[in-house]
Amino acid sequence: MISVPSLVLLAVATATAGTLGGFGGAVLLVPILVLSGVEPSVAAPLGLVSVAAGSLAAAPSQLANGLVHHRLGITMEITASAAAITAAMASAHVPGAALQVVLALVALAAGLVGLSHAEMRNVAMPEFSGEPPAEWPGTLDGAYVGPGGVIPYRARHVGPGLVAMAVAGVVTGLSGVGGGFVKTPAMRELMYIPMKVAAATSTFTVAVTAASALVVVAGQGRIVVHDAAAVGLGGLVGGIVGSRIQDRISPARLRRALAITLILVAVVLVVQV
Amino acid sequence: MPEVGGPGPHPLVGRQRHLVVFLRASTIVAFVLAVGGLILPGRAGTVAGTLLVATLIGVPLVRVAWLCLRWIRRGDVRFALTAGGLLAIVAVGALTAL
Repeated sequence: MISVPSLVLLAVATATAGTLGGFGGAVLLVPILVLSGVEPSVAAPLGLVSVAAGSLAAAPSQLANGLVHHRLGITMEITASAAAITAAMASAHVPGAALQVVLALVALAAGLVGLSHAEMRNVAMPEFSGEPPAEWPGTLDGAYVGPGGVIPYRARHVGPGLVAMAVAGVVTGLSGVGGGFVKTPAMRELMYIPMKVAAATSTFTVAVTAASALVVVAGQGRIVVHDAAAVGLGGLVGGIVGSRIQDRISPARLRRALAITLILVAVVLVVQV
Repeated sequence: MPEVGGPGPHPLVGRQRHLVVFLRASTIVAFVLAVGGLILPGRAGTVAGTLLVATLIGVPLVRVAWLCLRWIRRGDVRFALTAGGLLAIVAVGALTAL
C-alpha cells in the first residue's frame, strides 16, 4: 500500500491536473493507485472521495458565476445515480482483474475524449443582452455570458442524454472514477448545452453520483477512513489550486498531455492484468 | 407559477448566495476534518475521517434537498418532484446497502 504522505501528494497532483484538464482527478488517481499495487476494489472508494472533494472545492465559484444548470443536472442525475448505486453494489462481486479492465477502458475513453475538439454551437443573440446568465424556471433552457454577449441555449435530445448519464453512473459505480468525461461531452454533443455550462453542471452532478456510490461502498465497509482523509485533503487542495491557476496555463495543451497519459495508463493496465 | 419557456422574473446570479455560503463553509469544514483525520491519533482521527466522508456524501444531497424546497416554494412542481425522486433513489440505495 502507498504511504499516507505519498497518497496526499498524489491526490493533490491528480486533482490539480484533473481540474486543469477538465477530467477530474480520480480518472488519473485510481489507475495510478491500481498500478501501484492497490486492489481496484479498494482504490475505487478512494476515487469517489476524490471526486466528491474536488467537486466541493470547485462548487462555490461555479455557482457564483451562474454557470450551473441545476434543473438539468438533477434531471440527468436520476439515471446516473440509479446506475451508480446498482454498479457499486455489483462491484463488490466483480473480480479485481475485471475491474482493472473496466478501469483501462475508462482511462482509454477519457483519453480519447480529451483528444477530441469541441466546436462552438451556441452564439450570442443581441435580443438577450438584457438577460442575466441563469437557468430558466420550469425548463431545461437558460442563458450564459459567452464570447460576444449573452448566449441562450435549449437542451435537446433529453432521452439519449439520460442514457449517456446512466453509462456515466455505471462507470462511477464500478471504477470510482467521476463520469465527467462522459457527462460533459454528452451534454455538449447530444444535448447542445454550451461547454461552460455543461462542464459546471457536470461538476455538480459528479458529486451527487459519487455520493450515491459512496453510500453503497460505505455500507459494504470498503472505505479505509485514514486513506480517505488523505485523498479528501488532496482532492480539496488540488481542486482549489487547479481552479486558481487555470488562467495562467494553456488548458488545451495540458488536456492533450493528460489525454495521452491516460491512453498510456490504459495500455499499462491491460498489460498488467 | 413561474413563466414556463422564458427567463424567470428575477433570475439574478446572486440569488443563490445562501447556497454559495453553505458550500464555502462546507469546503472549510471538509478541509478541517481531512486534516484532523490525518493528524489526530487513534479514535479521534477515525471519527474525523468518518465525518469527512459523511460530509462529502451529505453536502451534495443537502444541495439537492435545498433546491427541492426552493422549487416547491416557487411552484416549479415538475422539477421539485424530480429532485425528490433523486433523493428517494439515493435513500433506497442506502437502505439496500446497509
